[in-house]
Amino acid sequence: MSKLRIALGLQLLFFIAWGGWLLSSKNTPSPEFYLETVPVDPRDLLSGTFVALTYGISSPQSGACPAVMNSNPKFFVKLEDRGKVADTPDGAAAVYEATDCSKAPANEPGWVSATLQPGFPRPGARYGIERFYLNENDPRKAARSGSVIAKVKIDRRRQLVLLDLVKKTQP
Amino acid sequence: MSYYKKLKKDLLGATAAGIITPEQADKVWERSYSGRTFASFKAVHWIAAASGLFIALGVILVAAHNWDKIGDIAKMGAFLLLFAGAAEAAMRLEEKPAAAIPLETLWFFMPALGIGLYAQIFNLSGDPVKPYLAWAALSVPLALLSKRPLASYLCSILFFAVLYWGTLGSTNMLSLTLGRNGTLQPLWHWGLALAVLAAGFALYPGEKLGKPLGAAVIWLFFMLVADTAIKVRSEALVLLAGMSLAVLWLSWGRGEEEGARAGLPLTVWLGAVYAMTFFWHYRPDTYHLHGQNNTPLGTLITWAAFAGALITLAVRKQRLLPEGKTEDHLAKGLLAASMLCAFLLFDANEGSAKIMAVLANLILAAFGAGCMISGSRNSDEKLINRGVLVITLTAVTRFIDLFGGLLKSGVAFIITGLAFAGLAYLVNRGRKALIEAAKK
Repeated sequence: MSKLRIALGLQLLFFIAWGGWLLSSKNTPSPEFYLETVPVDPRDLLSGTFVALTYGISSPQSGACPAVMNSNPKFFVKLEDRGKVADTPDGAAAVYEATDCSKAPANEPGWVSATLQPGFPRPGARYGIERFYLNENDPRKAARSGSVIAKVKIDRRRQLVLLDLVKKTQP
Repeated sequence: MSYYKKLKKDLLGATAAGIITPEQADKVWERSYSGRTFASFKAVHWIAAASGLFIALGVILVAAHNWDKIGDIAKMGAFLLLFAGAAEAAMRLEEKPAAAIPLETLWFFMPALGIGLYAQIFNLSGDPVKPYLAWAALSVPLALLSKRPLASYLCSILFFAVLYWGTLGSTNMLSLTLGRNGTLQPLWHWGLALAVLAAGFALYPGEKLGKPLGAAVIWLFFMLVADTAIKVRSEALVLLAGMSLAVLWLSWGRGEEEGARAGLPLTVWLGAVYAMTFFWHYRPDTYHLHGQNNTPLGTLITWAAFAGALITLAVRKQRLLPEGKTEDHLAKGLLAASMLCAFLLFDANEGSAKIMAVLANLILAAFGAGCMISGSRNSDEKLINRGVLVITLTAVTRFIDLFGGLLKSGVAFIITGLAFAGLAYLVNRGRKALIEAAKK
């Protein structure tokens, strides 16, 4: 086998392994929940059609968050159901909120990893779920602030996985 | 008129004049015409390529329309098959450049397509530089193992593009400029940036150092003037760093072999000296960057670049002006003077800045005159033209810059024109004398 074929094999192996890992993250047996989201800048010609998202949890202010974010480029955020609810076509859904931050996660569910996102007037948290790709005919590409919520789950590495963007219904 | 039409006409002319035989003209024409780009592409190839393109576009559009109905695994599987197919075809058709070159290009871009596809399927986002670095890293084996230099060029360009884009930003894994609140970027960012620089350098194919070295020294200069951990802020150090790096690029960016042309590094060095001529208008209070200091590392790098450039001048033959010992000494003198001028900006006042501007004008004038004299000695028209261009540009700029008024500028133009006429006369006499001496 030529060296070039070995190189091709390594490239394909990378994509197979990465795809497998992403599929397993998506199918992690963990509860799904919703996050309040603010769609912004809904299109990018180079990347295709997607909705750029920021979340309520992108600027965590509760608990130790301001202090932790001041000194750590990577940190963990605790997400909890505090009774906030949104109406969806499938009924009322609990919307989780950021309640605390820590440099290292406590050994309990609900902690997700985040990276510091420099910003003004204060830095924010980035979770890797800030883009939702959709078909160009999908009406959600015109989603306005407060009209959709994001369906997510936490994978084995405490990273958020974005599953769907759900339109809110009027109560 | 295209090159081949002109060549055909010239060959016919040469045949008619009896300089070459019709057979020789045919052979020269065949040899040149068969070496053109896409030489082996016949009409049928173009039609086949168009057909392939249309079918591919049609498949893409149909797939895009039904995108939501296709499962994740099917999308990934189709991509992997396409990836393997394109690469396998590129390898099997290696001996047929018309097919292998587009296929190898497609192979090079397949990892980028895959990363984009996976990002779409799994709604990935995050560090904008990471996917491009992953693409470059995945393409390194192809660049190293391919028999053609195409993948190496593309991969090297990709590494340098990511280096510039990433390091000048402040919110990605390669960022080297300070964060919004003035925080320094982590040390590993520098390590990664240097690794990317080394990869871009190492993958650039062939023996020619000029372009990757140029990209590297320009990047280093950007890092020195941007808000990084190695920034320098005094005008003197910025100028010293810029001139030293320009001299290093000019000296090392091309081989020492006979006839090596300076090209872009020479233009950059001339541009830097030309920019120095505007220090005539320097006002110390206008240009001072309040509240910003040189970093120790930036200062050290600047002095190291200066020392390196001086050592280079001492040990390496220069080709600022080709041929001859006198030219070599003049070239070294001009390069050294261009760097030493920066010292006039330490604790500069208007007087020292004006001296620097005058020296820069003199360097340009000496270089121009040197080009003309050396060019006439070696019957190198290009060199003579370069000298005339440099002196003319300098003179025109100074007239507009300094004299301003129509009468004064007009008189100055006449004086310069007369000076040029005198110089042309002397150059021509010198050339004739040399030819006569050679005949004897």
